[in-house]
Amino acid sequence: MSLLVIAPLLVAVTTAVLTLALGRRPGIQRATSVVGVLGYVGTVSAAVWTLVLGPAAPGAAVYQVGGWPAPFGITLVLDGLSAFMLTIAAGVGIASILFSIRYVTPENQRVYYHPLFHMLLVGVTGAFLTGDLFNLFVWFEVMLIASYVFVAFYGTDRATAASFRYLVMNVFGSALMLIAVGGLYATTGTLNMADMARRLAAPDAYGIDPAPVVGLSALLLAVFALKAGLVPFQFWVPGAYTAAPTPITAMFAGVTKKVGMYAIVRLYFTVFAAAAVPVDLFGMTAASPLAFLAPVLGAMGAASIVVGGFGAVGQDRLEGVFAYSSVGQVGFIAVPVAIAAAADPAGTLRGAAVAAALVFALHHALAKGLLFLSVGAIEDATDTDRLRELGGLADRSPVLSGAVFVGLLSLMGLPPLAGFFGKLLAFDAAVRGLASDPGVAPALALVALLLGAVLTILYATRVWIVGFWGRETPAVEAASVDSGQVAVLVALAAAVVLVGVGFDPVYRFAETAATAALDGEAYVEVVGLEGGDGA
Amino acid sequence: MQTTTRVTVPIVLVVAISLFLQGHNLPGGGFIGGVLTAAAFVLIYVAYDLDYLESGVLGREIEPGTSVFEHRTVTAYRRTLLAGLVIVLGSGVAGILVGDPFLTQGYVHLEGIPVYHEVELASALLFDLGVYLVVVGSLLTIVSVVSGE
Repeated sequence: MSLLVIAPLLVAVTTAVLTLALGRRPGIQRATSVVGVLGYVGTVSAAVWTLVLGPAAPGAAVYQVGGWPAPFGITLVLDGLSAFMLTIAAGVGIASILFSIRYVTPENQRVYYHPLFHMLLVGVTGAFLTGDLFNLFVWFEVMLIASYVFVAFYGTDRATAASFRYLVMNVFGSALMLIAVGGLYATTGTLNMADMARRLAAPDAYGIDPAPVVGLSALLLAVFALKAGLVPFQFWVPGAYTAAPTPITAMFAGVTKKVGMYAIVRLYFTVFAAAAVPVDLFGMTAASPLAFLAPVLGAMGAASIVVGGFGAVGQDRLEGVFAYSSVGQVGFIAVPVAIAAAADPAGTLRGAAVAAALVFALHHALAKGLLFLSVGAIEDATDTDRLRELGGLADRSPVLSGAVFVGLLSLMGLPPLAGFFGKLLAFDAAVRGLASDPGVAPALALVALLLGAVLTILYATRVWIVGFWGRETPAVEAASVDSGQVAVLVALAAAVVLVGVGFDPVYRFAETAATAALDGEAYVEVVGLEGGDGA
Repeated sequence: MQTTTRVTVPIVLVVAISLFLQGHNLPGGGFIGGVLTAAAFVLIYVAYDLDYLESGVLGREIEPGTSVFEHRTVTAYRRTLLAGLVIVLGSGVAGILVGDPFLTQGYVHLEGIPVYHEVELASALLFDLGVYLVVVGSLLTIVSVVSGE
């Protein structure tokens, strides 16, 4: 049991309280906030290195909150998958807070910006770390309550409407999640994920009837897809993304969306994969709920790619383009996950496909974070993000445009950037899925990926040609770009390039994460269920 | 309405405190105690008016024209919320300082030594006190700001 597991959570919570207390001293409050995020990055790196990646690392670690043994207490688990997601959160978080300091007006920062930012971080961290299903619900709520305020942050009509839609959607989603969690508790008699995996693997030994798990897991899938903004639950995304302050939008796109995908991977592959539930529904027969995940999530992902791609092409505002693009890119994460679900559990494809999804998630967090932040910088400099009022930015500010260029190229998937490997691995998984099971569904998945790639090139090129090339518009001529903001963008662009150039360690990290996600038995072992022997 | 309030508010407050005190091993606790306390305050707000607490109970002058955020009662509520958060966090971290996991102190059952039993009781109550203050502070801030609009 290592304190490092819970350290990032404690750092974020403490910073939230401190920044709330320092509301009257804006300078110190901002400094505390930045130091807090730096501390968060530090503790995450320390935890990831000493517990997961380092030479002497055990690979996974667990923390029993309050000293209660699992499965009775709340267990926090740091394994490869959690470590990978936390690293993404830390990377986007530091860029976002540094950008916020230069971007959000001091009056707006003074009120509740910093405490809420850290509460958002707390919710995300808790969701990635927890090994308890009900606790996962609680962390989702922590994250969402901070998000509601951020969507309504500017208090305009549009922001209030977007926030209300977001609120209604998510309250409904949370209610469904609570029902599903309650149902799973009634079915399996436990809320601890490891214990649940153990019981579902041998239902007879524990005297439970696991049949309802199929339906309940489908309910959970719908809720997580809502959080991830997959089609048909994508409609809250553009409104909420354009209404929130752009540094927070970067956090939404880079981190909170991934929480939904993380929860799908964690629950389906780690917990439900081993479930020995004979299923016979809609003409499909299968041995575990995973069999249903493949077609449903695949269809959702493919639809997201198409809807997001076409939506992005038709937008006339930069923020709108990237918000729709986010919908499409999450589809690129969902499709490999679906391929992994369809793959043979014993083969190598399943691990490779999950790793592909994770690499794509990392690329998307970095590139989309970079692009949303640059929208903020452009808006700050020119007072507009309407494409037709922009033009000639490449001449006006070569450095800012260079950073955006890197982000767009990574989105398109050009080597040697991070996006290239994300796309390469996603296509690799799709082709291997088709080769191992020649059929209509894998072929459609591949077609959707191809169409998505073409659409991405289309809207990325359009943004570049209309916004950055050509004659300088009056708005651009009057622009003065903030050098502090540009510095953050350049750092993020450098990270995108670095991940691509030095891809080998990144891929090994993603593979470690994928292995951890798939190895339910190791997960159960790490949690070490001392209590609850079958009762 | 005002007559009823005069009678019920003390009763509500006493029930709230008793729920709060028994919370760590019986139904009740900081949250519900806090909600009840806030409800008592809301009753006063509804029966009298928003300024009554400050002018009638505390005997202060109301400064006219200031926004509701600068009201002294609202500032006090926000301080209450903050104090509660600090207590919750502090009582959780205190466990780490003596070598136990986060949040431990309220839950461990030390080996039945009567004196230790007393200590355990107090630390669980501390966490609950934090929750109580957070709930009272946040609910009353929301109620007074929203109704002040």
